[in-house]
Amino acid sequence: MMTGRHTMEQHRHTVEGTDPGLFVEVHEPATDAGLRPVLLIHGFSSSTKLNWVDSGWITTLQDAGRRVITVDLPGHGRSHSPEDLDSYTPSRIRADLLQIATDAGARPLRDGDPSTGLDVIGYSLGSRLAWEFGATQPDLVHRIVLGGPSSADPLAAFDLAAAQRHLADGTPIEDASTAGLLKMAQMLPSNNLFAMLSLIEAIKGEPFDPAEAAPHTPLLLVAGEKDERAATMPELASIAGKRGGMVETLVIPGRTHTNVITSRAFKEAAVQFLGV
Amino acid sequence: MAEISFPLPDLGEGLIEATVLDWLVEPGQQVERNQAIVELETTKSALELPSPQAGKVVRIHGAPGDTINVGEPLIVFEVPDDTAGIVGTVPKDEAPKRRVRLSAVLDED
Repeated sequence: MMTGRHTMEQHRHTVEGTDPGLFVEVHEPATDAGLRPVLLIHGFSSSTKLNWVDSGWITTLQDAGRRVITVDLPGHGRSHSPEDLDSYTPSRIRADLLQIATDAGARPLRDGDPSTGLDVIGYSLGSRLAWEFGATQPDLVHRIVLGGPSSADPLAAFDLAAAQRHLADGTPIEDASTAGLLKMAQMLPSNNLFAMLSLIEAIKGEPFDPAEAAPHTPLLLVAGEKDERAATMPELASIAGKRGGMVETLVIPGRTHTNVITSRAFKEAAVQFLGV
Repeated sequence: MAEISFPLPDLGEGLIEATVLDWLVEPGQQVERNQAIVELETTKSALELPSPQAGKVVRIHGAPGDTINVGEPLIVFEVPDDTAGIVGTVPKDEAPKRRVRLSAVLDED
């Protein structure tokens, strides 16, 4: 198996005057296919390790000759957990991602040069961020793969008051989605609960509106057949299709929102879709 | 030839079991060390397990949907007799970079 060179860095560049403290890694392939780098954006209450390393994505992309950029979102994995709410807003995170991709060597797209531009793969919350990133960075983003995508925003619908009551005195949470997301946030010791709730609060201030800014770049949408959160995937396909972009969708039989991530069919489709 | 059986390893985070999603290898197949052999799902995430051993797969335990407890048999390899004894020593090829590793118990069969 090819593991390739592996560099790590704590991101040092300031964005709008502050250091976001995000943990960035660049994973080099053993044999470079000469294509643009691939940026991976993980889901809520996950991390680069859980979402992309343990699931086999990094090695799959490296074996395909791709250079891979990973980042732990604020409050996740090995990134810092800032106290200010602004660090968790989707718009701030997108600005940080742009700086990270640029620092890692991604250059604006130029016709006829396959090493220019950036491919992006997102999963769940990472899909929302990738959708918006693609929409706002058309000169940089070449193609996008979205896993477990939804046109709705379960994090914006999160009942923060009920969660805080529950954490304070154990009052049961009525809303099943809120209860499930809080359980997810509490499950990983590496994730800071205060940061998870800050992220949710920041997202409530900037909820996902896929029609407001949609990517024009080619899109591959992938979801498990049993993924309830991604039941709205056809709406996303329709929105992007109306903007004139090429849209492909893939449903993986038998898989859920959580376990679609290791699927071979998902990885192979992504490698092929991005390998042009 | 000798057989070496590997149980489901400790996956950390207090996990005691995992559910088989899909096998990526089948009996009779020759696999490389560190090659992904199975997709598993735990209560926390889904992951691929790398092979602890180069060799020919003799048996796999658990069909998709089956739950396997940590320590229960997962996969059995056939290896040449002269390499069966070195299990547990540092191999000649590149060391695994993953945190999750399998440990060997010799097959009792």
